[in-house]
Amino acid sequence: MDFGLTKQQEMLRNVVREFAEAELAPHAADLDERGEFPLAQARRTAELGLVGIVTSPEYGGSGMGHLARMIAIEEVSRVYPPLGFFLQVAPMGLYILETAGTEDQKKKYLPALCRAEKFIATAVTEPTGGSDPTAMQSTARAEGDGWVLNGRKVFITIGEVADLVVVVARTDDKFNAFLVEKGTPGFEAPRREKHAGLRSIPVSELAFTECRVPKENLVGQEGRGLAVALAAIAAVGRTGVAGVALGVAQGSYEAALKFARERKLYGKPIADLQAIQFMLVDMNVGIEAARLLAYKAAWLLDQGKSPREAGADIARAKLYTVYLANDVAAKAVEVLGACGTTPEYHVIRRLRDGLELLAAAGTQQIMKVIIGGSIVR
Amino acid sequence: MSVARDDGKFCQPTGAGNRIAFRRQNSPSELWVWAEQRRGRLLPVSLELLGKARELAPALGAVPAAVLLGQGVEEAAGELFAHGAEKVYLVDHPLLRLYQSDAYADLLARLAGERGPEVILLGATTLGRELAARVAARLGTGLTAHCVDLYVNEEGRLVQVVPGLGRGTLWEYVCLRNPQMATVKPGVFPVPKGDPGRRGELVRVPCDVREESLRARTLEMAEEEPAGVSLEAAEVVVAGGWGLHAAGGFEPVRELARLLGAAVGGTRPAVDRGWIPEELMIGQSGKTVSPRLFVSLGASGAMHFTTGFLGSGVIFAVDQNPGAPIFEVADVGIVGDLRAVLPLLIEELRKRGIHPPPPN
Amino acid sequence: MEIVVCVRRVRDGAEPGRSAIGPLERHALEEALRLKERFGGRVTALTMGSPPAGRALEEALAAGADRAVFLCDARFAGADTLATARTLYYGIRRLGPCDLVLCGNESATGATGQVGPQLAEFLGVPCVTHVRRLEAPAPDRLLAERALEHGHMKVEVRLPALVAVVKGINTPRLPTVWGIMAAAEKGITVWNAEDLGLDPHLVGLEGSPTRLVRERKTEFARRKEIFSGPPEEAVKKAVARLKELGVL
Repeated sequence: MDFGLTKQQEMLRNVVREFAEAELAPHAADLDERGEFPLAQARRTAELGLVGIVTSPEYGGSGMGHLARMIAIEEVSRVYPPLGFFLQVAPMGLYILETAGTEDQKKKYLPALCRAEKFIATAVTEPTGGSDPTAMQSTARAEGDGWVLNGRKVFITIGEVADLVVVVARTDDKFNAFLVEKGTPGFEAPRREKHAGLRSIPVSELAFTECRVPKENLVGQEGRGLAVALAAIAAVGRTGVAGVALGVAQGSYEAALKFARERKLYGKPIADLQAIQFMLVDMNVGIEAARLLAYKAAWLLDQGKSPREAGADIARAKLYTVYLANDVAAKAVEVLGACGTTPEYHVIRRLRDGLELLAAAGTQQIMKVIIGGSIVR
Repeated sequence: MSVARDDGKFCQPTGAGNRIAFRRQNSPSELWVWAEQRRGRLLPVSLELLGKARELAPALGAVPAAVLLGQGVEEAAGELFAHGAEKVYLVDHPLLRLYQSDAYADLLARLAGERGPEVILLGATTLGRELAARVAARLGTGLTAHCVDLYVNEEGRLVQVVPGLGRGTLWEYVCLRNPQMATVKPGVFPVPKGDPGRRGELVRVPCDVREESLRARTLEMAEEEPAGVSLEAAEVVVAGGWGLHAAGGFEPVRELARLLGAAVGGTRPAVDRGWIPEELMIGQSGKTVSPRLFVSLGASGAMHFTTGFLGSGVIFAVDQNPGAPIFEVADVGIVGDLRAVLPLLIEELRKRGIHPPPPN
Repeated sequence: MEIVVCVRRVRDGAEPGRSAIGPLERHALEEALRLKERFGGRVTALTMGSPPAGRALEEALAAGADRAVFLCDARFAGADTLATARTLYYGIRRLGPCDLVLCGNESATGATGQVGPQLAEFLGVPCVTHVRRLEAPAPDRLLAERALEHGHMKVEVRLPALVAVVKGINTPRLPTVWGIMAAAEKGITVWNAEDLGLDPHLVGLEGSPTRLVRERKTEFARRKEIFSGPPEEAVKKAVARLKELGVL
């Protein structure tokens, strides 16, 4: 069993880390404070090939794979988790198009999405609950030469900045997915949520009122819309969240370690005091374990396993890494003592970001439902 | 490109003696200093090296000499004699008014080939380093850069001392061939006392350099306002903290920085007092620097400040409180009233020959 | 334009986020890539060293170099700047005619700044060092702004030439994912002394006229030599100590 990364993956890690240190670190606290979407930085990730990293080069992607993507997201999130979260959510739409879209749809949208000239969001969750998608109330009825959408979606990440949204809606007892372009009459983003963490990433409500979309905008086979979206959430969203969690944990741990090496009490660094050292050890061991779980899930996808086949592994990865990230971030705050909650030391914003991961790409409880289903049956 | 060089011209070990005997018989050997001048004014480093040459000459059985290239620079030869040269080779030509990479290298290398000096020293200025490197390669000899000390060993060879890798290491080199060449940074050796009455032998060397042969041509040279070195790039940083208010303010930091050619920085309290802008703040919420020398004046050394410079080569701190945590991270420190210590510090540095870096 | 970039690897091992290429060499590579984008041609990355130095070449290929050549031979070790310059010269000679050699003004460690000018001597071409701005008014002529301590010189140089660059001349590009994947296809050519037709006595330690004869160590931890008492004495002692430490 080879635990090593390939040379390309190592080089990718180095490049993304350098990018994060040089271009994200100086602005992270400020962007977080202002709660503004980091448009320039998002475009930079596209320039480097990170947005389309699992998209085929045929459509403008770089096609390096899921493990490479996870490494890239981890490195970005180590410094600035919101941008890592962007890299988690944006490729979902690309994945949907590449796996279920028509050739025309792929050629029309993918290259611009890979270049971050346009952004895409995925809208499934409704007030009836993201964990219970089949209870959704939004409808899509066939009419004339297209479809008409009605309904409300909530907690849609980058929904208000996206140029395109993949919307899943009910048609009788089946579900369809549609591409809706920003500016389409009847499509609005009326409200933005105010979240405690990932403050630069807008999460919004989307409203559809007699919104007409042409028939070419149906994505995937009729009736298969929800399945397509859920596969993308598993393969891309969930693995992405695991990557963000790894980055949050790693960044928090490094901040705590640095502080503990420099801060002196009783004449020596607090890192030499067992009480503190053991906390650092717990963080260290937890991150190593989390990383292996997360990398394995991504690796399975690269080996050709479908999102369904790798479903339990992906759920394990997300479940474990997100709890771990929250734990490490909280421990880091503790190690820093009174400095832990001040902005200069950058651990408190990571703790806030970590909290947002609990419900992202499926709640922790849904992860357990998935895993439970796989072991009990 | 792809001139096939005949390797016979380069680096043929000469056998047992390891000395290239192309100097004239029956003349004493010479220790040369390249006298760098800009706009007709000698750089202090040229005099510093001359002082050292004078010191080393007896042990080498050599005569200290200087090589002066330029246009209308004969007056400077007098200064070279005054500071220890017994001989000055002067090449005075309009083409040499500005440093010309090809011409200077050609002339110095040819002269060295003809006269066979034992040692050639050059200041490790941006021009000196380049010239030294080319001439050394042309002569097939070794060159040691940025020496912090020079001495002659029992075998009569020049030992060239440079900082090693990692703090606290020094490496000593010897060159197996002649001329033994070394560059030395300005300010390492003191400027010797000049004796205006001293005279020496002036050798005028004809210059046969033609303009067409200058493949890289210096068109112009321009002076710039030393706008202040950027913090991150600076080799020396002087930072001030809250304690300076007792010494009347931030001016000592700037004065010391000017003297050392250093960048200026400070603590958060210094920013709050309006002494420095935010960009010059060092520490957790400011810049991280790792210069060769970091000087802290009047800062107690709280962790969010020191974390910004722990990677520095040598840390020198001055503060009035003997228990200040800055002394835990300092290599050298002075405890005392800043009002008294700082002026004395500046005076002592001047006496020791520290002076502001040369303008062009 | 045929451009060769001398790439030197950073000596202190691999660390995530640390480029394997020395900082000034990255500026040299970036300048080469820009000239190629402008005039067409080919960029070859060249390095000399022991096997880990290959990482620097992989990175150069990922950033956009077309070819990479590794001069690798245990006998090259221990070289001073003269022997290094000679080895690189033989490597460039084997590559064939080129118009421009770009290198960093000095390496991150060692930092002598000598290899560039010495390599130019072997090649028989003019050199301009400390270049902080490079203009190419024509494919056979460069206009360089050469930094001085407090100022600059404008130098016009005819190609072929060697140019050594300093920080600030450009912003080195990061390799993209596409570049990283393409690099694997390009491959690295490895040459030893025999491949270069180089007499081993002229390179490495044997070919170096300068020899390290002694290493002296002083303490590593912070010295904490704190002087108090009458200010004049404390100041004298402190300054003397700083002089001894070689920082004044």
